[in-house]
Amino acid sequence: MAQTGFREPAWLSRLDTPSRYALALGVVAVSTVMAQALFMLTGSNRIGGAFLVGVLFTSYLLGSGPGYLAAAVSFVIYNLYLGNGNLIPPHYRPEDIMVVLTFPTVAVLMGNLTGRVRDEAKRAHTRALTTAVLFEASREFSASDDPTVIRARLADHLAAAARGQAFVLDGEALTCVGGTPPDEVLTAARGLMQAPPAAGAGGEVRTVETHRWRVRLLADGMTAGWQGEPASAEEENLLQILADAGAAAKTRAALTVAKADAEARARTEDLRNALLSSISHDLRTPLAAVLASATALQEFGDKFDAKTRHDLTTTIQEETERLNAFVTNLLNMTRLEGGMLDPASSAFDLSEVVDRTKKRFERLRGKRKIACVLDEEAAIALGDPVLFEVALANVLENAIRYSPDGGLISLKSYPRDDRVVVEVTDEGPGVPEAELPRLFDKFYRGAAAKRLPGTGLGLSIVRGVMQGMGGDASAALRSDASSGMVMSLALPAVRM
Amino acid sequence: MTDGQGNLGRLLIVDDETQIVRALTPALSAAGFVVSTAESGEAALAVLAGEGAEVVILDLGLPDMDGKDVIQRIREWSEAPIIVLSARDLESEKIAALDLGADDFVNKPVGVGELLARIRAAMRGRERRFSAQPRFKFGDLEINFPARRVMIQGEEVRLTPREYQLLRILAGHAGQVVTHKQIITAVWGADSNADAQFVRVLMAQLRQKLETDPSSPEILVTEPGIGYRLHCDD
Repeated sequence: MAQTGFREPAWLSRLDTPSRYALALGVVAVSTVMAQALFMLTGSNRIGGAFLVGVLFTSYLLGSGPGYLAAAVSFVIYNLYLGNGNLIPPHYRPEDIMVVLTFPTVAVLMGNLTGRVRDEAKRAHTRALTTAVLFEASREFSASDDPTVIRARLADHLAAAARGQAFVLDGEALTCVGGTPPDEVLTAARGLMQAPPAAGAGGEVRTVETHRWRVRLLADGMTAGWQGEPASAEEENLLQILADAGAAAKTRAALTVAKADAEARARTEDLRNALLSSISHDLRTPLAAVLASATALQEFGDKFDAKTRHDLTTTIQEETERLNAFVTNLLNMTRLEGGMLDPASSAFDLSEVVDRTKKRFERLRGKRKIACVLDEEAAIALGDPVLFEVALANVLENAIRYSPDGGLISLKSYPRDDRVVVEVTDEGPGVPEAELPRLFDKFYRGAAAKRLPGTGLGLSIVRGVMQGMGGDASAALRSDASSGMVMSLALPAVRM
Repeated sequence: MTDGQGNLGRLLIVDDETQIVRALTPALSAAGFVVSTAESGEAALAVLAGEGAEVVILDLGLPDMDGKDVIQRIREWSEAPIIVLSARDLESEKIAALDLGADDFVNKPVGVGELLARIRAAMRGRERRFSAQPRFKFGDLEINFPARRVMIQGEEVRLTPREYQLLRILAGHAGQVVTHKQIITAVWGADSNADAQFVRVLMAQLRQKLETDPSSPEILVTEPGIGYRLHCDD
């Protein structure tokens, strides 16, 4: 009943307190007119009913205060009737006393009843309003992870709820709505932040009032302030909850950002660890072979036959070269990442670079064969011959390492659109199709590659230098029946 | 190939890096081993089950299985000394390998001389443990196991039962690393809640009694983060 039994007409709810009392007097006046009419019609002064109706209406419609006033005035006027103009009637009849006593009783009962209903309705209305405002605000707060946005929205909501101005101060960042608050208010806000009132001790004070502003200390080094139309306790409460919700949202946003940062750091950390362990393995393995060979020669050199000595010195030489290649790749990678690689762009003869690169791998090649078919139409490319050699050497080395003994590696060039393409095809195991897109990622090593030494740097360098020269690198599986990879390096062609 | 006589028995190198195998094989042969090689864990187990080996040199990063699993599989039936030779230098890896039953852990790169010394120490240790020698003597230190007597420079030293247990397990693995966990198991029992700190305190007491200068020990050497080694090298 409380919520729905009584609904004030709109025009009534807009009345302020003085008007309500005035209206109560008006109702009593109407009651008096009706009573006078009855008196004149019947000649009887038993006309309490008319006043009673008035008191009833007043209490019901205008609340308890106006009801009491109506009861008091009605009591006086009715007394005048009963006493024939005397304020205090010479003699009361019992039923008159009953009627007279009924006025205040009705006013009190009715006023209480409607007052309670009215207050309840008003509270319900405020609650609904509060819920709506808080819901809307928290919806907006949670939509953003940006502290600046949250601050701005909080200030807007505070100003709207206070029907005036508001500000949010977060460290040194100030967000105002409806004008900047006076310096004294901001000083008070900073003071609150610097010397927060001691917690506990039975109800901490987090809101202070200064220069008609209310300033509240929020979580996380934030304060908010507002001033506006006089607010009820509930509205004041709403403002505080709103401010606290905004601060909580900002804290949550800051945590979300911190969490993302921490995750990014952890990923970087993982990557760095993987890199370190990979680099330490790749540096130590050749070093171990060199040290073992050298110390073996030192300790047993005179016991070894010529072939063993030669094998050991060859191991030292090969492993030193491998170390050197590895260090060069690391340096290239570092330069690529630092943007220090500055490719020269000139027309150069592809076949020269191809020949040079092939010669570098004479020994590593072993029994594998390299077949070259270079197209006359694609003899000259535009780029940096030194960097192209770095890329081609990496691709060719992979092709050799993953090819079986006696396998064939074919290298061919051809024009495609306005580019020159160099393609290296091997007879190795290839990679699962799913791994293709990741082959050029830094430190990525396919399942098959795990068995062979390498850092997963080579192909990322290849793509880096090729793209740096305006070209590209791509990988595909052989389209014919046999297994193996097709690696393509493309450079801009020279316009003839 | 050389004048290696094979008089030290068979040695198995398990490593998938061929250049390491190529570099080590001639030296180990020259030192007197008959060297066989395996590139994977399964191949290593097959060689051990077939021709066998007196010593195993094992890389932890193998293509088919983790080297630690190989140690575990070997220890199910064989007591051949295992020396881990690895480029991984994580302490946790070393401890795990030693706890699983490896005799020693050598980091790559290593010189042939040091590797051979570690191999000799591991073989001596096995010999000592399985032939129940009543006495241990190296340098100034002498232990009489049946009488539970410890002498330093010919003078008897009084040890508490725990100090004696600690010395005994280190002497049993003379020249090799003994992990904190192995020491705790031997001295306090497998289900005790003693930790590495207990070992450190006990070791400090033992050094006070045995070392000439306990602050720079020469007999009881620390292997940082892993455990201790009773130094005995010729």
